[in-house]
Order: sequence, then C-alpha cells, then structure tokens
Amino acid sequence: MSSTPNWLERSLYPLLVLTTAGMVGALWLIFLHAPEEKVMGAVQKLFYFHVPAAIMTYAAVAVLLIGSIAYLWTRDVRWDNLSIAATECGLFFCGMVLITGPIWGRPAWGVWWTWEARLTTTLVLWILLAAAILVRSYADNRELGARLASVLGILAAIDIYIIRKAVEWFRGMHPTVFKPGAERDVDPAIGQAFGATSLVFILLFLLLLAVTYREAQLRDRAERLTQALGR
Amino acid sequence: MKAPANGAGFVTTARLVAAKDLRLEWRTLDSLAGMLLFALIVLVVYSFAFDGAMNRELGARFLIPGILWTVVTFSGLISFSRAFQNETADDTLTALRLAPVDRGAIYTGKLLAVLVKLAALETVTVPLTALFFSFDLAPHAGPLVLVLVLHTVGLAVLGTLTGAIAARVGRGEALTAILLLPAAAPLLISAVETTGAVLGGEPLASIRAWLLGSLGFAMLFFCVAVLTFDYVLEE
Repeated sequence: MSSTPNWLERSLYPLLVLTTAGMVGALWLIFLHAPEEKVMGAVQKLFYFHVPAAIMTYAAVAVLLIGSIAYLWTRDVRWDNLSIAATECGLFFCGMVLITGPIWGRPAWGVWWTWEARLTTTLVLWILLAAAILVRSYADNRELGARLASVLGILAAIDIYIIRKAVEWFRGMHPTVFKPGAERDVDPAIGQAFGATSLVFILLFLLLLAVTYREAQLRDRAERLTQALGR
Repeated sequence: MKAPANGAGFVTTARLVAAKDLRLEWRTLDSLAGMLLFALIVLVVYSFAFDGAMNRELGARFLIPGILWTVVTFSGLISFSRAFQNETADDTLTALRLAPVDRGAIYTGKLLAVLVKLAALETVTVPLTALFFSFDLAPHAGPLVLVLVLHTVGLAVLGTLTGAIAARVGRGEALTAILLLPAAAPLLISAVETTGAVLGGEPLASIRAWLLGSLGFAMLFFCVAVLTFDYVLEE
C-alpha cells in the first residue's frame, strides 16, 4: 500500500509558498508597476489573468492527451490520475477564461458574449471537459470510467484544434494582442507584468495539478481500504 | 446464417454486425419509428417557431439548413444511443465481446447500420422540410445529396462512438447528446454552411474547402474510433 511517492507530498508546500509569493509579486506588478492602458483603462488589467489562464487551459489539454494515451497503452493507474488532474485543472482554467472574458468584453465590445471563434471554442472545450468528468462519475467502476474518459480525452484533445479552425473560418473578431513578428509599441512594464503573471500561472497550474493528482491517489487508496474492510 | 469462422475478417465481421442490426430494425422498427416521429414533431415545432412571415422575410434558403441539420442531428441521437442500448438489454454485448473478431469491425458494423437508418430518415425528412417551408429542392438535388452524405457520415462516425460510451455507463440520448454535440461542432458548422451555399445555387467549387475538411474530419475520427473501440467495449 505504499504507492505514495513522498516527493510529491513534500513538494506541495514549497510550491504553495512559491506560488503565493509569486501571486503577491505579480499583483504588485500588475496594479502598481504597469501603467494603466490608455484606451481600455483599468479593465485592461483583466488581460493579465485572462491570457495566462487560456494558455494554461491548452496546457492542461495537452497533459490530458498524454495521460489518456499513456493510460490506454500501459494501464498504469498513475497515468489516469494524471488525466483526472489535467481534466479538473483544465476545467478550472477554462472556467476562469470564460468568466474574465465577458467582463472585459462588455466594455470593449459592448456585449457580454458573442459567438466569435475563440469564445465558441472555449465554451465547447469547457463542455467537453465537463462531459469527461460526468462519464467518469456515471461509470460503475474505476477502470471502466478511466477507459471511457481516456477515449474521450483523446477525442477532445484532437477535436479542440479542429473546432478552433472551423470556427475561425466561420467568423473571427477576437483581438490578437501579441502578433508574432509585429513591432510592439507597449510599455516594457506591461510586458514585465505579463511575463511575471504567466510564470505565476505556470506555478499555479503545477500546484493544482499536484493537489488534484494527490487527491485522486488518496481516493484510490481510500477505495482499496474500504474494500479490504467491507469484504 | 452461418456463424463466422474463428477470426472472421474485418469486412465480414462489419457486414454481419450491420446485417444483424438491420434485420432487428426491420422486424421491430425500434429506432426508425422513434426517429421519424421525433423528426416530424420537431419540424412541426419549427413551423411554429418560424412562421410563414419569417420564412418570407429571411428566405427559406437561410432557414432550411439550420432546421434540416438540427432535425437530422436530434433524430440521429436516437439511433446512436439505441445501437448499443439494444445490446445491453439482454447483455448480448458480452456475446459480441466474446467473439474472436476485431472490435473495430464491430464498431464499423454498427456504424453501417446507423448510416442506413440515417439515410432512411433523411429520405423522408429532407423533402418534408422543403415541403413544409415551401422550397423547391429539385434544382439543387445533386449537390445537396453530396453535402448530406458527407456530413451524415461524419456525424454517424462520432455518434456511434459517443453512443457506445453513453450505453456503457447505462445512459441514453441525453449523455450521447452532451458528448456528441460539442465534439461534432465543426461538422455541424460545415453542414449548415455548405447546405446554405448549395441551396443558394452556389457552385460546389466555392465550398470545396469545407467539403474536404468534413471528409478529413470523418476519416480522422473513424480511425480514432476503430483504434479506441477496443477500450470502450472491454469489460
């Protein structure tokens, strides 16, 4: 019963301290260091949360794809725990994108929601991730849930890039802030604040991934103990 | 009917499974009756939602693609979830699972049977939609059939897989819809776009990218389904 890699548990607290400290630093950079944007005003500050959250959502989907394929391949429950963690983290960051987006969209576009490419894609992704969690909870046993959720994970991860392309063809108006190759005429402080926030989001993602992974592990262990007792 | 020899080939297995499902359907009209009646009632509901004035205002060409594809998709859900629910009732799924054949071939057989049912559904509902919303389909029949076939195949490819997943956890149409509709979003967008273009009399060359995209989508997810179906069926 010693499937507990102690390094994971031991790394949680330093990671928590680091993330918290990073958050305080990033908040200082965002609200006190970086200047207020001329056109958008204070609402532009949302960008520092919105964009890194979106990047982390896609990172979570990538982890989900790896976890799903590796689980079906090896049947090692650790990969499935990684998929569980990635799905839940992805849902969290995706939800954050969906909440911060409309708050920015209302003053910038004049509407809370529009069926634009990235908005539609993000909403569809949120539904797909939630559906994977739903299927897992409907399954009679852990293994069936793991297999079906892995199949769905692969499906969702491949699909999301196609959905993105399809909706982009269909219509698009989302701003591209950092166009590759374009000359940037932004205050360096804005870039610094964005860079720092992105780093903190990576830390937060790792922390949440570790916590949800550990939770999945403990849930398995509790399940095994209950079975051993209740037999 | 002769039982397949040990390790029947992919095509033989698929054909046998499809034939079995269709024979069952022919004798019971288990899903087709539901699909057709459901399609009919949805069309009636749409006729309330979009009355004649709105039809004239917008033009049937802009109304029909959306109506057509929601009707086909929602009625299709019945056949997707029924394809595997049938097997769980008397646990014939275990028998299918025990057969020494490729599970991907079982999926393909189910898919073929679903496609025949969808074809039957569309032969009735497409002319009926045109009739209800007074639109003349005849001049656009050729390209329309191409668009219908292409997108129906893609929809069935994903639908059969998601229907199987829903049936494995003991759920029906509702879960199938939750799994299928977001995943099929690109296909539905393409279906509505291309149907609109075809009904507007635009040449097929103008929607070539959409059609090729949908074909690629169907082929990609057919491969994904055949490869992963083993894990869906497994006990």
